[in-house]
Amino acid sequence: MREHSILIVHPDRKTQRLVQRILGVTGYRVDIADELEQAIQLMEQQAPLLVVVDGTIALSPEADAFFTLASTKGTEACMTLLAPDAGDHVPRILGLGAVTNLLVHQMPVLAEELTITAHKLIHRDLFGVEKYLLWGTELHTHTLTRASQRAHIVQQLAEAVRARGQSARVASMAMLVADELISNAVHNAPVDDAGAHYRKDVPRDVEIELDGKHAVTLRWGCDARYLAIEVGDQFGTLDRETILRSLAKNDVRESGAGAGMGISLSYRSSDHLVFNLAPGKRTEIIALIDVRYPPAERTPVSSYNVFVERT
Amino acid sequence: MQIQPANGQLELSGSIDETSGLLDLLGRAQSNFLALDLAGITFINSLGVRDWIRMQAAATKSGIQIELRRAAEVIIHQLNMIIATRGTARVTSFFAPYACDACGREDSLLVDAVTHAAELAKLQPPAMVCPECGSQMAFNDFPERYFSFLSPG
Repeated sequence: MREHSILIVHPDRKTQRLVQRILGVTGYRVDIADELEQAIQLMEQQAPLLVVVDGTIALSPEADAFFTLASTKGTEACMTLLAPDAGDHVPRILGLGAVTNLLVHQMPVLAEELTITAHKLIHRDLFGVEKYLLWGTELHTHTLTRASQRAHIVQQLAEAVRARGQSARVASMAMLVADELISNAVHNAPVDDAGAHYRKDVPRDVEIELDGKHAVTLRWGCDARYLAIEVGDQFGTLDRETILRSLAKNDVRESGAGAGMGISLSYRSSDHLVFNLAPGKRTEIIALIDVRYPPAERTPVSSYNVFVERT
Repeated sequence: MQIQPANGQLELSGSIDETSGLLDLLGRAQSNFLALDLAGITFINSLGVRDWIRMQAAATKSGIQIELRRAAEVIIHQLNMIIATRGTARVTSFFAPYACDACGREDSLLVDAVTHAAELAKLQPPAMVCPECGSQMAFNDFPERYFSFLSPG
């Protein structure tokens, strides 16, 4: 039977205490290691549900053995934390292709990101933008039944965001994220029985009926902390490797072309991007845009989580 | 996207997306020069970005000099994120985010990149006065990030 524990691997005592305090509310035992050797010893005695690792440690050559052991032990997720001055490490972390949960924000945002992630894993309940918004936040739902509705719905979203007092910058980020995620769900998600993505090369301005399983859902809401945008499809074809490759995509800066650009642009246009995957059943992507802070006070890099539903 | 010719330039407004046909704009260059006023652009998606890069590449290949005037913040974000979108175009003015500490107003203000070239090269945002209360406004982004499009790729 699984030990009800969480393991923190971080060299800084203050951060250890902070993360321990945040994750202690789950009721799980929280173990702490200063470095990887100690963490591996702890890991050999038990199987923590969740592991939280310092970004610098995650980049060390010895981390491979640790992540492999965590995977063998059935750890649901390894979260990586980055210090505020370590934003330059993000491309390297993305380049590893193994970090499924990167949290870059400081308190109080870190506490929100950590607890929601932990609760999703503990309760095995991954889906739904509600988990990221305050109680009572009104959610607006649009179901696309034709591809041509994308432009109208995206425009409607921007106008509604502006009408609720948000800045043009926030509205423009929301437009970009919603447009790219809907476009991906309409054109890249559908596969036939042989696994071929049959709508991938259909020009984006060609009308397509989105009947039955092809329908795409957009939900959004704002709780004065976040503008949250959720886009879902019913194919569940997006996988962890494609996501990590897209997030790391260097050619977004260099050429701007190629598949996966939509995910990469969405990541760079939001503060936190969450992927909820139920393979073969559904994919849900949630983008959070922090509306509390002006650009100059926001962390220049973004957090992300990739959750995969266990069958 | 709407296109309006005015004062020797093309004023573009609305969304740059898969329907924009930016390459066609090159046919409207005069004496190998094309000035685009981008103040009215509200949105550009990944397919618009791809089209934009193709337009820039074609302009460079055929020796057409593109000048970007009053580039909206959404354009600047793309120029900063995707180096290839810069091409060989020259940006003469652009909008930038400012905030007023005194009254809380946030605004997108026009910066003359030619007049302020020396300051911008040192990543120093030009001083701006709040149009509402007259106080000094503060630049509302990270200068090293927002002005990166001005440095060579």
